[in-house]
Amino acid sequence: MEWVETTAETVEDAKRIALDRLGVDESEAEIEVMEEPKQGLFGRTRGEARVRARVRPQTPRSKNPRRERSQRDGGNNRKKTNGGQNRQRSKGDKVDNERSERPPREDREPVDPAAVAAEAEKFLLGLAEAFETPGKVTVNREAEDMEVRLDGENLGLMVGPKGATLLAIQDLTRVVSQRRLGDHDSRLRIDIAGYRERRRDALSRFAMKVAAEVKESGIARSLEPMSSADRKVVHDTLAEVDGITTRSEGDDPNRRVVVAPA
Amino acid sequence: MNDTVSDHNSVPAPVATAVLEHIVKSIVDDPDAVRIDHSENRGKIRLEVRVADGDLGRVIGRRGRTAQSIRAVVRAAATRDEVEVDIDFEDD
Repeated sequence: MEWVETTAETVEDAKRIALDRLGVDESEAEIEVMEEPKQGLFGRTRGEARVRARVRPQTPRSKNPRRERSQRDGGNNRKKTNGGQNRQRSKGDKVDNERSERPPREDREPVDPAAVAAEAEKFLLGLAEAFETPGKVTVNREAEDMEVRLDGENLGLMVGPKGATLLAIQDLTRVVSQRRLGDHDSRLRIDIAGYRERRRDALSRFAMKVAAEVKESGIARSLEPMSSADRKVVHDTLAEVDGITTRSEGDDPNRRVVVAPA
Repeated sequence: MNDTVSDHNSVPAPVATAVLEHIVKSIVDDPDAVRIDHSENRGKIRLEVRVADGDLGRVIGRRGRTAQSIRAVVRAAATRDEVEVDIDFEDD
């Protein structure tokens, strides 16, 4: 899985940008603080915060890889300010999700992904109703990966400009289903009115067109900078095309796919 | 449904209010304690959400992330009401 690296004025902002780019919730990502902004005179900050993040790789649960990782990350890269957050918590405590910085909970039972999907479905149906554009929900589930789709008429408002409202709805669906049930293992994506699917399709059509041009001209082409999720679509689409290769070059946010003759 | 949204004519932003109510009630532990009040604030509708004591943290989320998402979705819904809304969260 690819890392994205971001910089911003504060560590929090850098994290937020990285998560936006990955398109996942903080609980699904692995985040490392590479550099913290230095304190200047009068509390002004000099320099930028730099973090890197990636979608947490899917690994067999039996080995508890997440816990080992979160302990390793607890070393040099840990933010100074985190000390107070690692306080002991009783089992029933419902403090909001603390993902990788959270101390391991040895005694938690895995949550049934079907229950998570059912909550997500109920929430989305009610939301569409409240928007006065009732729709239908379908859940595609493969083990812990689920895509919950809402389809219906006039759902554009729930997608929003560049999918911004869709992302907020996805965030809330995760709060309502995964976090409410104490689930930390499933991966939940929301699609509304086929927005993500159309975007994916458009991107892979574009990638195919570029591949054909590169094959014909024999000259490599560098695409616009894209998010890691979008780059993956391009790589995956073109993996099956003979006569060309793809690779990513540069650093985020300017990392881009290069399509070259094989 | 809560009686705050049952009569559309008396509510300045019925769609936004219904959406807000659905989201907040889905998040909290005590949905019956959720109350939404309206007030006008310089041409904008202000929606004040009240939740039970222990539920505010959940609604606001880590570093306000959940509150931010709620605002984004409810503001989208408010375009159907043709108004602009602000949202405040308070506990009892």
